[in-house]
Amino acid sequence: MAKWRHGLKGWLTSRLKLPADAVMDLPRITMVGQLHIYIENHQGVLKFSNEEVRLLLKQGQLLIKGKDFMLKTILPEEILLEGKIEHVSYLERPEDM
Amino acid sequence: MKEYIRELFSGYVRIKVVGSYTELFINRCIEYRIPIWDIRRLDEETILLSLYISDIRRIRPHLKRTRCKVRIHERKGFPFIVQRVISSRGFLAGAIGSILLILLLSNMVWGVSVNGATPEVEHKLRKAAYELGVKKGTFIFRLPTNQEIQQELSESLKEVTWIGVKRNGTSYHFQVVQKQLPEKEPAASPRHIVAKKKAVITKIYVEEGQAKVKENAFVKPGQLLISGFIGKEEKSQLVPASGKVFGRTWYVSTVSIPLKSSFVTHTGETKTNHSLGIVGFYLPIWGLKAPEFENYEVNERETNFRFLKWQLPISLMSKKMLETKEVERTYTNKEAVDAARNVAREDIKDKTAEDAEIKTEKILHEKVENGKVNVKIHFEVIEEIGKNIPIVQGD
Repeated sequence: MAKWRHGLKGWLTSRLKLPADAVMDLPRITMVGQLHIYIENHQGVLKFSNEEVRLLLKQGQLLIKGKDFMLKTILPEEILLEGKIEHVSYLERPEDM
Repeated sequence: MKEYIRELFSGYVRIKVVGSYTELFINRCIEYRIPIWDIRRLDEETILLSLYISDIRRIRPHLKRTRCKVRIHERKGFPFIVQRVISSRGFLAGAIGSILLILLLSNMVWGVSVNGATPEVEHKLRKAAYELGVKKGTFIFRLPTNQEIQQELSESLKEVTWIGVKRNGTSYHFQVVQKQLPEKEPAASPRHIVAKKKAVITKIYVEEGQAKVKENAFVKPGQLLISGFIGKEEKSQLVPASGKVFGRTWYVSTVSIPLKSSFVTHTGETKTNHSLGIVGFYLPIWGLKAPEFENYEVNERETNFRFLKWQLPISLMSKKMLETKEVERTYTNKEAVDAARNVAREDIKDKTAEDAEIKTEKILHEKVENGKVNVKIHFEVIEEIGKNIPIVQGD
């Protein structure tokens, strides 16, 4: 069932040109150089420290590494992080979880 | 920018949240829509964040649930500034008080200086000025204008020809020009006394010299009255003649008085309105109503407030309204003649010396014409007619 819905969403985005972030609850990430990173559609903060921020996503997690992090703004589903961003990576959720 | 202004106006706190599950606390705040921002990690267990004052109570349950403790780190925004100012109101009161004090002192008279007067006149002047209120500690805006002061002082001091009044900030300067009182006549040189106008001698007193005319004699201007030569021709001696010669003189004065005249007088009713002027706008502060009378004359007086040496654009304006009344005066012919006589008498007094005495007066001619009474009056006056002339020697 879940797989089928996922498939439908994929079809909607590719055929009807609907924005993928809206339809599929994917994070939309905007970066301004290394200074700012702006993440929409997050599901909460898992870890926050000066060097590392881990955000929960619909699927998996987002890991941001760098220096001198500060959460400039934090709203439901929106985060503006300031600092020196060095590394952004996705952590896949195990398939069966 | 908008956010920033809101932060400033509603006031916010920087708080330290200590606990093992600070991330959980952040998530709960987001979940319950409690705005938090500028979050920074201080150490393993502590984060620093900003929060509106109004939300402080709302985070309580979330702190408990996440087992975090909170400590206030900084208070920011206007509510706290106001609080701080109120708590230090002693200082504030002092600051305002001292400004008011300076303002007050800047509008007071602090010095009176007098220039160009002898010590005696200076003393009198200072006394007169003191009575007018020009003394240390009077408010400048309560004093009359310089012109009025000048007029008052000139009138009350006989010894003074002119007084210049100048105000320089908080001090008054009086510049005095004193009358040159005539010096005692120096030991007179030889002279005659002669008649200065046509007259009939009534009395002649000789102190020194030789009378040359008798009482009831008619004299012409320039005629010798008391001679400076005394003694017989061979042993004649020159002296400064002195004495008094009174004579009867005649004057004719023509006066024309209109039977009907109108003039404006003050009834004595006054009303004063005060207003505070701020850069050209006047705010009435005392006496808001217009006067009950219709015709009036307005005297305006404006005094600027000062702060130290600066003139402030604030002034006190007092508007004095004096009720006036137009009065019509109608003379009967007889009254007009009486008025004419008075005018004529004044005229004669102006023309003659102070000790002159009007002996008789006679109306020569009286005619009503074009609503006017023309009167010609003849006066007989007894006055001193002598005049000194030096004897030029070597003739």
